[in-house]
Amino acid sequence: MTNKNNPASAGQKNKTMPRVFSSLAASFLLSSFSLTNAQTAEEGIPGSYIKIMLIAGIFLTFLAFSFLFYYGMGEEKPEPKIHPFAFLKRFREHLVGAVPIEKENEILLEDDYDGIKELNNKVPPWFNYLFYATIIFGIFYMLNYYVFKTGKLQYQEYKEEVQAADIQKAKLMKSGAFINENTVTRLVDAASLNAGKNIFKTNCVPCHGPDGGGVVGPNLTDDYWIHGGGIKNIFTTIKYGVPAKGMISWQTQLNPKQIQEVASYVMSLHGTHPANPKPPQGEKYTEQ
Amino acid sequence: MELERFSYDNKIVRQFGIAAIFWGVVGMLVGLIVATQLFVPALNLNLQYTTFGRIRPIHTNAVIFAFVGNAIFMGVYHSLQRLCKTRMYSDMLSKIHFWGWQLIIVAAAITLAMGFTTSKEYAELEWPIDIAITLVWVAFGINMFGTILKRREKHLYVAIWFYIATWVTVAILHIVNSIEIPVTFLKSYSVYAGVQDALVQWWYGHNAVAFFLTTPYLGLMYYYLPKAANRPIYSYKLSIVHFWALIFIYIWAGPHHLLYSALPDWAQSLGTVFSIMLIAPSWGGMINGLLTLRGAWDKVRQDPILKFMVVAVTAYGMATFEGPMLSLKNVNAIAHFTDWIIAHVHIGALGWNGFLTFGVLYWLIPKLYKTELFSKKLANIHFWLGTLGIVFYASAMYWSGITQSLMWKQFTPLGTLQYPNFLETTLQIIPMYMIRAAGGGLYFIGVLLMVYNLYKTAKQGSFEENEAAEAPALVKVKDRFVKGKRHRWLEGKPIQFLIVSMVVVLIGGLVEFLPTFLVKSNIPTIASVKPYTPLELQGRDIYIREGCVSCHSQLIRPFRSETERYGEYSKAGEYVYDHPFLWGSKRTGPDLHREGGKYPNMWHYLHMEDPRSMSPGSIMPAFPWLLTQNLDTTTTAAKIKAMRTLGVPYPLGYEYTANEDLAKQAGTITADLIKSGVPAESNKEIIALIAYLQRLGTDIKVNQQAK
Repeated sequence: MTNKNNPASAGQKNKTMPRVFSSLAASFLLSSFSLTNAQTAEEGIPGSYIKIMLIAGIFLTFLAFSFLFYYGMGEEKPEPKIHPFAFLKRFREHLVGAVPIEKENEILLEDDYDGIKELNNKVPPWFNYLFYATIIFGIFYMLNYYVFKTGKLQYQEYKEEVQAADIQKAKLMKSGAFINENTVTRLVDAASLNAGKNIFKTNCVPCHGPDGGGVVGPNLTDDYWIHGGGIKNIFTTIKYGVPAKGMISWQTQLNPKQIQEVASYVMSLHGTHPANPKPPQGEKYTEQ
Repeated sequence: MELERFSYDNKIVRQFGIAAIFWGVVGMLVGLIVATQLFVPALNLNLQYTTFGRIRPIHTNAVIFAFVGNAIFMGVYHSLQRLCKTRMYSDMLSKIHFWGWQLIIVAAAITLAMGFTTSKEYAELEWPIDIAITLVWVAFGINMFGTILKRREKHLYVAIWFYIATWVTVAILHIVNSIEIPVTFLKSYSVYAGVQDALVQWWYGHNAVAFFLTTPYLGLMYYYLPKAANRPIYSYKLSIVHFWALIFIYIWAGPHHLLYSALPDWAQSLGTVFSIMLIAPSWGGMINGLLTLRGAWDKVRQDPILKFMVVAVTAYGMATFEGPMLSLKNVNAIAHFTDWIIAHVHIGALGWNGFLTFGVLYWLIPKLYKTELFSKKLANIHFWLGTLGIVFYASAMYWSGITQSLMWKQFTPLGTLQYPNFLETTLQIIPMYMIRAAGGGLYFIGVLLMVYNLYKTAKQGSFEENEAAEAPALVKVKDRFVKGKRHRWLEGKPIQFLIVSMVVVLIGGLVEFLPTFLVKSNIPTIASVKPYTPLELQGRDIYIREGCVSCHSQLIRPFRSETERYGEYSKAGEYVYDHPFLWGSKRTGPDLHREGGKYPNMWHYLHMEDPRSMSPGSIMPAFPWLLTQNLDTTTTAAKIKAMRTLGVPYPLGYEYTANEDLAKQAGTITADLIKSGVPAESNKEIIALIAYLQRLGTDIKVNQQAK
């Protein structure tokens, strides 16, 4: 944006204006928020994202205003004869449509209001285009909601938002997102135990044996527990693991519901008699 | 041609100028105090007269009508005489206008502090003052048109077009929005209820911004900017286009203050669409102003007057682009009810109105006193302090608005609100409130420098009350009404100009009002919604008196984050007996539309006595006087009667027994309070307020239980 050919020209002074007002423009936020919307915020788009958009918006606004000042206010400068982007210059001249200052006497209107005169410059074409564009936007906005009915009015939006949340909640319920070591309960129904059995087969057998009698890991069928018995302790042990003792954490591989199922299955093994049980390890555990 | 001799009345210009400066200082100081109260609630000195809810309207009224108002009149009385080449039509009317307006301001400050308010934003003043405003406005109109009619200049300059549009539109807005039924000498009820009241109020509120803060100031810009820059106006054609487009489109945009509300959706959509279409017409003023400075930008760098004007016009351009963006539904869903809106209006008020006023004052006062400005350097310091103040103010408010809004909307992964306690979101933004107050402080210091600078300027100059002037008499030449010259023709016909502009501004309002008032289905009724009991009605009036609506909305928008937090979203039918509506426009505290039944009576009692006893860290002021002041029940009958006149179905003759019901209900609440261990008395104001709060939003719950 600097004019290297002619640093002392009036054009140079013009450029102080964008700088003077950049601070003001910086407090102005627009474009960022046409990019975001209420729904994304409702769904929990992180605040930092919006704040980044905000800063981007401020930057864009600053650019827009600098552009406005630079092109709108600039005086005619001598341009190099062969301009690689001459069409841009012509486009800009078309958009601004101003009569150059040297020739403005030709368009000075004769009325004089207490010393104030008026020029008869045409309405800047870019102003007209902007105006037309907003009118077209307005027409399409109304068509969208009331003729094509493709836009959603507020109560429809609300209904869908609540529905989406309900579906999400049902999904979470299914995955047991609400289950944790404090709220977990032992399941005794056949379906859950069966599911637990399957999880056990795929994940636990290598260390604890197919019948829970223990291999590398301890026997799970006796009364003795290294990290405590009972559903809450077992759930905790499976969820977080005890890496120091070789038990890994399963919370990234199994969802809480699955951990609950497999823990319940493990408890159902109590008192069974595996073929080659490992000797008891840990403390004898009695349910409080 | 023979020159006629006459004189300009400079005395009235000086009077309005001094008044503008004086009220500007007062209004901004009050603003600084209210801003500080948001983090130091005790700054109300524990007095009801200086509590946030009462002095916030003093701040807004003082800045809008006292500071900007007097500045408008200063500019109009100065420029109109010169643009018409004649003295004001009547010195007597000028005097009546000036002193009448100042009396109104004083009356406004006193009554608002005492708690007499209609609660409608920027139209808070009670009915006797409304009438006074109308009379003074008419005096101003006669004076202005008298001057225009005896002008020595054939054509009306663009500044005068804006003055004419301002006068006629403000008259319409003020009268239509202030139609109210008096109950006592300083108490009235709006004739409109609920949704209709909201629509009328925001048609008014939005266009008060348009026709009190914008059009007259564009008029001032069209006179003082070319004067200060000594440049011709860039484009006469642009003046015409943007003037008519602006006044036509502005009127329609009011409903953008009510997006996602219970207002019918078609009206909301019109508000959005016309706001977007308003961008270009608004910018027309900015463009014409800035392009007028073509060839004078080297002067801008040196001249504080032009600097002030350029920033003013730029701030105008920014605010009028931001406004339409805020009217988009998805942006509005984030910004509404938050500090973002406060930032937006202050870009306009501090930037556009404030800075243009300062620029005009720095130009005009030395002219009136036939001297140079005392210190250009001080003016420059003022400019930078003011600019810095605006930046601090606005960026803090943008940040806090967005932060709080996102916190309101934030859900946990499990689908519950992340910040279910509203207070948590308030405490998060307290540092921003501090920065805002600091920004306001800088701006205020700048203004004090200006006062000193202008005082010294006046001291060193000599003032002439009647400035001699001469101009040739108006020669009657007929403009031909032909293609390409029709507007020129109109510029020579002030009465026709007035009529055309009146028709143009009436269209938008009528299109939006008539269906809302005539088509019943626009406000579906709900059978279980019943009128307020006498005690609740009295409580509601205390809620109005204390300005609770400044910080608490009564409008739950149809968003999951709001229905989770507050309960079922608000329906139009719930407000049918609300004269006036109390939807509010800002949530410094939580929404109260479903407050009824949320907390026990005792909680409210203790919370009003000291909010921090129930909500540690709360920034709500304490209202201890409600516990000691007796409820005035002598007004009950008049209130019931007035409400019945407005269509609220109280049985005939109910006013005579209303106070018995009131006492009964008060007794029940008091008994409950005493049972809970609170030493309550049934004749105190707090009882009525609790009755009202416990009623809020419960009618619809009755309905659900019945199902």
